Amino acid sequence: MKDLITIGLPSKGRLKEKTISFFNDKGLKIIQSEKERNYFGTIENKPNIQIIFLHAKEIIQRLGDGTLDIGVSGLDLLKESDLNLQSKINIQKKLDYGNANLVIAVPDDWIDVQTIADLEEISFDIRSKRNTRLRVATKYPNLTNDFLISKGVTQYKLIPSLGATETYPFIGSSEIITDITSTGKTLEDNNLRVLKDGNILKSAACLLTSKRNKNILSNILINFD
Amino acid sequence: MKSKKLSEVIIKTFKSNGFVLSEPDVLLDSDYIIERSGEKFRSSMLTFDREDGKTMCLRPDLTVASCISFLQKKTSSKIYYSGQAYRRSGGKGANFINDQLGIEILGSKNLIKDDFKVISTILNSAKKIKMKNIKIKVSDIGLFKSLINALEMPERWKLRLIRHFWRPGYFEELLKRLEKNTDIDAVTFDADKKRFYEMKKFDQNKIIAGRSVSEILKRFDKKIKDPRSFVDGKKIVKIIKAFLKINCKLSKLDDELLNFAKKNNLKINIFKNFKSIQNLKKLNQDINFVTNFGRDVEYYTGIVFEVFSGTKEIASGGRYDDLLKSLGAKKSIPAVGAAINLKNI
Repeated sequence: MKDLITIGLPSKGRLKEKTISFFNDKGLKIIQSEKERNYFGTIENKPNIQIIFLHAKEIIQRLGDGTLDIGVSGLDLLKESDLNLQSKINIQKKLDYGNANLVIAVPDDWIDVQTIADLEEISFDIRSKRNTRLRVATKYPNLTNDFLISKGVTQYKLIPSLGATETYPFIGSSEIITDITSTGKTLEDNNLRVLKDGNILKSAACLLTSKRNKNILSNILINFD
Repeated sequence: MKSKKLSEVIIKTFKSNGFVLSEPDVLLDSDYIIERSGEKFRSSMLTFDREDGKTMCLRPDLTVASCISFLQKKTSSKIYYSGQAYRRSGGKGANFINDQLGIEILGSKNLIKDDFKVISTILNSAKKIKMKNIKIKVSDIGLFKSLINALEMPERWKLRLIRHFWRPGYFEELLKRLEKNTDIDAVTFDADKKRFYEMKKFDQNKIIAGRSVSEILKRFDKKIKDPRSFVDGKKIVKIIKAFLKINCKLSKLDDELLNFAKKNNLKINIFKNFKSIQNLKKLNQDINFVTNFGRDVEYYTGIVFEVFSGTKEIASGGRYDDLLKSLGAKKSIPAVGAAINLKNI
């Protein structure tokens, strides 16, 4: 029986800091390697736990294949992943940090577009006038697709984006975007505005566990109750 | 008769009625179909990536594939097809392969004649393979359009209802929304109005995310000048619901529509364009007219019909005047067609 528990934590930015202090608050003191760029860590007085610092998206993948037993990552990334992968992961707990919304945003100066209903109309306009589709740039194709179709918008095409999605409408790569935002500052600074009913998902950091190795986890999970 | 033999008999009937075989490509450009049919199509297509990164798909539907082939000038306009189409249609154990057998008149110049030709050819085929107890169910999406255009409501709402007629679930939601009055948000309205006057001073041809300033301002102006009244909304929803309950013998249709118009204080001449349906009386068949029908295929624009043998649906079809344009034709090319439901014969 495997008794080493592997925990994957975000390797960057505020999500990393908040996660480390969340673990500390629960009495699990994380010790990072002295080498600045080393990816591994441990927990004080818990020799059977190893910590790995990974990209938040990678954490979901590795929970799915069972390399990780426990992980912290965003609800947005989990919900965007394939259903097959999601079915292998439990959401143990929604945490009180990492809050952000996945939203639909349009250029500020599209003053005639306030709601999804407006958007739907525009998409037909674009189709009948130019015989092309409204292009939606996004890092979240699955969530965006499900949402738009459920709201009656059908005449669009997704443009996959890897970053700086906010620039797309202004360089001719797409007309509108969906993106994750916590304060709305980046959208605002790039002359974009969220539609009134354009909230796709309310996301937060989550404590996740792999369904594969759940029998060994109960000892450690008590700490998080 | 064995199914292969049945197909042969049907094809013979198609040929003798002047339809010519179309053999569309099996492999199609996946991006082309998505560009034309929308993103929701993606999950149902069977695709693979070529070495050069281009995504190809197996033809998901023979009507669409035949239209593409027609646009590439590979076929004549009056065609039949017989072959397999490939797509995923939800649920476990669902079949990926659909045998499809049907006819199309692409570039239909004479609406009444061509509608009649398609339906009568299908009926002849059904009779040739000795189908008994044949009944026909018809409707006309055009009648719904005539009704909506005769009602008093903002233009954008008319277009919206017409666009979503083929999605009954979402259509119901729209009706619910139409009964309320929530089109314009008063809080942001003033700020937007200020911006409206600022933007009027812009270069009107300036493009903002693919739309010109003049296009944006025109639509904004139209929206605020065309508000919707709450009382009318309720009345309109009631009329639409009553319309969708019409279900009668074709021979009684004139009276039914007249009664409906009188009862709802509508002009009696709003339904003038249904000659194509009335022309079907010549078929001397048991024909039922149902308004709430033919609402599952986005591209139908005019007459829609299903042919039954007893309770089994053995064929269905309709007129789709906008599909070829949305598949890339430069101008609109009217079309009408029908497919045999091989599983039920």
